[in-house]
Amino acid sequence: MAIRNIRLDGDDVLRKECKPIEKMTGRLQMLIDDMYETMYEANGVGLAAPQVGILKRLVVIDIGEGDPLTLINPVIVQADGEQEGEEGCLSLPGLQGTVVRPNHVICKALDENMEEITVEGEGLLARAICHELDHLDGILYKDKTLDGLYSVEQPKDN
Amino acid sequence: MDSRDIVLNILMDIETKKTFSNIAISKALSKNQFEDKRERAFITRLSEGVMEHLITLDYVINQFSKTKINKCKPLIRCLLRMGTYQIMYMDGVPDSAACNEAVKLAKKHGFSSLAGFVNGVLRNISRNKDNIEEPSKDKNSLEYLSVKYSMPIWLCKKLKNDYPETYVSILDGCFADRDTSIRVNTTKISRDELKKMINEAGIAVEYGYYDEKALLISDYDFIKKVPGYKKGYFTVQDESSMCAVRAAGIKQDDTIIDVCAAPGGKTTAAAEYLNGTGKIYSMDISEDKLELIEENVDRLGFDNVIISSHDATKKLSDMEADVVIADLPCSGLGIIGRKNDIKYRLEEEQLAELVKLQREILKVVCDYVKPKGTLLYSTCTINPDENQENVKWFLNKYPEFTLKEERLFVQGVDNCDGFYFAVLVKG
Repeated sequence: MAIRNIRLDGDDVLRKECKPIEKMTGRLQMLIDDMYETMYEANGVGLAAPQVGILKRLVVIDIGEGDPLTLINPVIVQADGEQEGEEGCLSLPGLQGTVVRPNHVICKALDENMEEITVEGEGLLARAICHELDHLDGILYKDKTLDGLYSVEQPKDN
Repeated sequence: MDSRDIVLNILMDIETKKTFSNIAISKALSKNQFEDKRERAFITRLSEGVMEHLITLDYVINQFSKTKINKCKPLIRCLLRMGTYQIMYMDGVPDSAACNEAVKLAKKHGFSSLAGFVNGVLRNISRNKDNIEEPSKDKNSLEYLSVKYSMPIWLCKKLKNDYPETYVSILDGCFADRDTSIRVNTTKISRDELKKMINEAGIAVEYGYYDEKALLISDYDFIKKVPGYKKGYFTVQDESSMCAVRAAGIKQDDTIIDVCAAPGGKTTAAAEYLNGTGKIYSMDISEDKLELIEENVDRLGFDNVIISSHDATKKLSDMEADVVIADLPCSGLGIIGRKNDIKYRLEEEQLAELVKLQREILKVVCDYVKPKGTLLYSTCTINPDENQENVKWFLNKYPEFTLKEERLFVQGVDNCDGFYFAVLVKG
């Protein structure tokens, strides 16, 4: 287990499209473990593989309630409702912005055993899923803010 | 598909799509699976041979063809080069076969009207191959060297300027057949044990010249079939690179950053010195090449290597290491004999650009070096501007670093690739 280096805004790796994962390997399992460790250490609630320099479709999410979620090759199959709220990101430390997201999403993905799972999220979880999945397509929340970014003393990560 | 037709395809791929020759060849070979090993060998030899001797072949063709080679249609150009190569360099192929097959291919590809032309030029070359006019009486003139060694004039001029005593040996060295150098993974097997194992498989194997982990092997079919490959007992690496990583003085528990790591030769060499301790951050800008690093690291069996995608010109936050390995993009003049594309594609103007890029990367990565830590700078070129001159510039700009060791290997003079490294220690 190791803390990985979190890539910051400006790093090209955050702007690339990630590739689907075909099979589980020892190396991938190690990456997942490291991503959890890195996310918890940075007080984040989600982390996508490109944020540690790996262009693969993989995110981990833990919003503090329910089980931590490992999502491999995730896709949002249904989104409805609307919520407006603050977002932050470990790749843009000390910043926040207001983003409109769906209030409810259904996401299909593979878990660590490469078995298909369906995750349903509302509120914060829906926001986290949307935010992390955007990373896999090279999209950052700052592309979507209503009125840009502003500094915060205690960055609240999403 | 006929072997010569496959070679024609390969050459057209390189000529018209600018595909790298090693890629064009392996693509064609994997598309056409052969039972006959000789077919594979013929295809490889003919396509590599044409690329290796391109300038020489064009010179010969231009002597016997009314239409200059660069005015010919691409397909005819490739056919003439292939035919001429067989006539000039392949003793096992009768000249008549080389001509007839070229004519057949011209017709097959819709150039019946030019079949006579192809036939005429090739037969003419065949008749006169022993008295081809030399480009110049002066054997040291640039024109002569360029044709003899199939090397662009500017490059001959540069080598002659930079290495006035040894440039002929260097040029000869580009064509010399060398054994394949492999690095023994001493975390899994000793050098003597592996040597014995390879020897027992009927493959010629010797100790290396410079590094105590090196073996030199020859007369094998595929590297992947050499005993111990799958078990990760060795990896292919030139001895010069082995010496560079050794000189970095890696100790157990060190943290290492390899900034331009693909395909992972130096990363895995460093991992062997760490022997399961410490950590290596192995990065490369090209996502596809990361898979090569993964493959090598997994095969050799190291789990302390973290591989990620990164552009070395960009600064990473919060990274520091005991040893930073910076084997940077370069002109590749040390390996022009092994990679034929380099000498034809490189342009003189690019050299200054490369120096600029190397300095830009050095500026970024020297920051990762911990106090008392080491920066290993290396290139596979023998161009002094990219090597010694860069290091002079660096030491001047960053006086906190001192030069502990530098070494230049020159192909044709030393028994390995042309290669340069400098070990820079932070005060």
